[in-house]
Amino acid sequence: MKSEPTPTTQTSENITPGRPGMSWLRKVGIALLTVLALVYLYPLLWMFDSSFRPAIEIFQVPPKLFTGPPWETLSSYSLSSFMAALTKWDVGWSFFISIMVTLSGIVLTLLVCSLCAYAFAFLEFPGKQAAFMTILGSMMLPLMTMIVPYYKVLSTIGLTNNLLGIILPYSASAFGVFLLRQYYIKIPKALLESAQIDGCRHLRTWWHIILPTSKPALAALAIVQFRLIWNDFLVPMIVLRDESLFTLPIKIQLMDSQNFSKPYDVIIASGFITALIPLVFFLFFQRQFIEGLTGGLKE
Amino acid sequence: MSKMQSLGSNNTLTGYAFIAPFAILLLVFNFYVFFSGFLTSLSDAQGINTGSFIGFQNFVDLLYADSAASADFWQAVRTTLVYTLGCLLTQVPAAFILAFVLNHIPFPRLKVVFRTAFFVPVLINTVVIALLFRMFFNTDNGIINWLMGMVGLPNSTEWLLDSSYAIPLLVVVSFWQWTGFHMVYFLSQLQTIDPSIYEAAKIDGASPLTVIFRITLPIMRPAITFVVITSTIGCIQMFDLVFILFPNAQYGPGGVAKTLIAYIYDQGFSQQFRIGFASAIGWLTFMLIVGLSFIQLKFFGLGQHDEI
Repeated sequence: MKSEPTPTTQTSENITPGRPGMSWLRKVGIALLTVLALVYLYPLLWMFDSSFRPAIEIFQVPPKLFTGPPWETLSSYSLSSFMAALTKWDVGWSFFISIMVTLSGIVLTLLVCSLCAYAFAFLEFPGKQAAFMTILGSMMLPLMTMIVPYYKVLSTIGLTNNLLGIILPYSASAFGVFLLRQYYIKIPKALLESAQIDGCRHLRTWWHIILPTSKPALAALAIVQFRLIWNDFLVPMIVLRDESLFTLPIKIQLMDSQNFSKPYDVIIASGFITALIPLVFFLFFQRQFIEGLTGGLKE
Repeated sequence: MSKMQSLGSNNTLTGYAFIAPFAILLLVFNFYVFFSGFLTSLSDAQGINTGSFIGFQNFVDLLYADSAASADFWQAVRTTLVYTLGCLLTQVPAAFILAFVLNHIPFPRLKVVFRTAFFVPVLINTVVIALLFRMFFNTDNGIINWLMGMVGLPNSTEWLLDSSYAIPLLVVVSFWQWTGFHMVYFLSQLQTIDPSIYEAAKIDGASPLTVIFRITLPIMRPAITFVVITSTIGCIQMFDLVFILFPNAQYGPGGVAKTLIAYIYDQGFSQQFRIGFASAIGWLTFMLIVGLSFIQLKFFGLGQHDEI
């Protein structure tokens, strides 16, 4: 950090209208940002640390981690909170339910939205423009405000206390149709026309050509849906009644609603598992995450 | 449009068939839900009893009637709006400044590390976040009071039990959760600005502040508009956080932090299953969101946000 910024950083040099003596300011800035980032990440660090500790150490202040050298403070680490989560609270099963719900939700979204986006990108039919505008407009509908009629509709068609009730509704992602259509209209025509000459019908074109070529856009949409479904709370809470159908967040809420002796160690360990999955995905697919989330609407 | 036609124009049926699965799901789980919610809001439906048509009585009760229901409703509106305003005023400027600072870091790797650090909270389930912060704000063994004691401040504040802290706590936790998310969006937009614009300003001798206010902010207006509007829509629909953060699902001491969605949940699901009444609150909340979005679009200049 002693050397002057290399020539490749010229843009940023220019953006900070130009005093050469700024580098100390930059060093201070980076130091401050580092401190800020560590403070910012502390809650997650604490959760990670606490999920391996016995219950009595979790609420110790100052936090056990800071009370001595690591070989002393880490000596009480064990997997007992995770074992209790698996054996006493069946968190493993909830984990499995969460995974299955999220995966099937993603697959269904990708199929439904890409088929629809295909029609908007490549086919001509009456009412196309109006239908597209309607779908775009639906992105603005705040569904949480309609949580009561939503439950009523689900119960009318028999989807309450049913995992389909928390999978089906999410698959109609207006954002997904928008994102995929934007991608499809940029696909080179030659690719499609050759498929037409070969006699493929549209369905086969969609399956054999469009889906494979649009992997980046599908990945971005998959990630948006992943975050949405994995972290969903209010809808599963009202839709699911049997404990055997509970997703991870609902299982955590159930543990937290115990009036006597809340199993905080188990809650933290389960929270850690719930948080870990999206974190790992993010580290692997960082670019797709950012693309999906900055490509359009939030939720 | 002309290139579209080369695939043949006689594919009306195929077109309808392809959008059908999506359209059916959207109709049932979106449009019909809003429509049925409106019909329900005109009734006194309760539990499995579909009730009878009472016109706009629920709305009158909520908005005008000098009743407990009306007081509760306006209290929820107030709570929700204060929370939303608190979120906007803290998150948007902080996210912008962070994005601006990160954009100036000349080391790409370091930039990604910082971006990741500030972004990760948005990946975490709100239930988990709320539980963590409930523990941090605990009076006796929470880290916040411990830290306050360390620097010589009063260390026995009852954060979760004192009603005056309820909404500020929600704003603080939301700040932690969402600022990095907005920052990433701002950062992606800042990176699209052509450096030659800054070059020109520099040649003209513009000061750093002039550059920020006359160049960066105007260019970023669509992005800021987008973040403000989507945040407002999101904040007004906040539920998970307030439901979990305060002990026993009480929405803060004496229910002071009961937001609109929490009020709907209480009326529709956890107390007397007043479905008609809760649907009316839902529709009023929906109208509030539409109204606020419209005002914000006007405020930031309608039509200036083509890129959105």
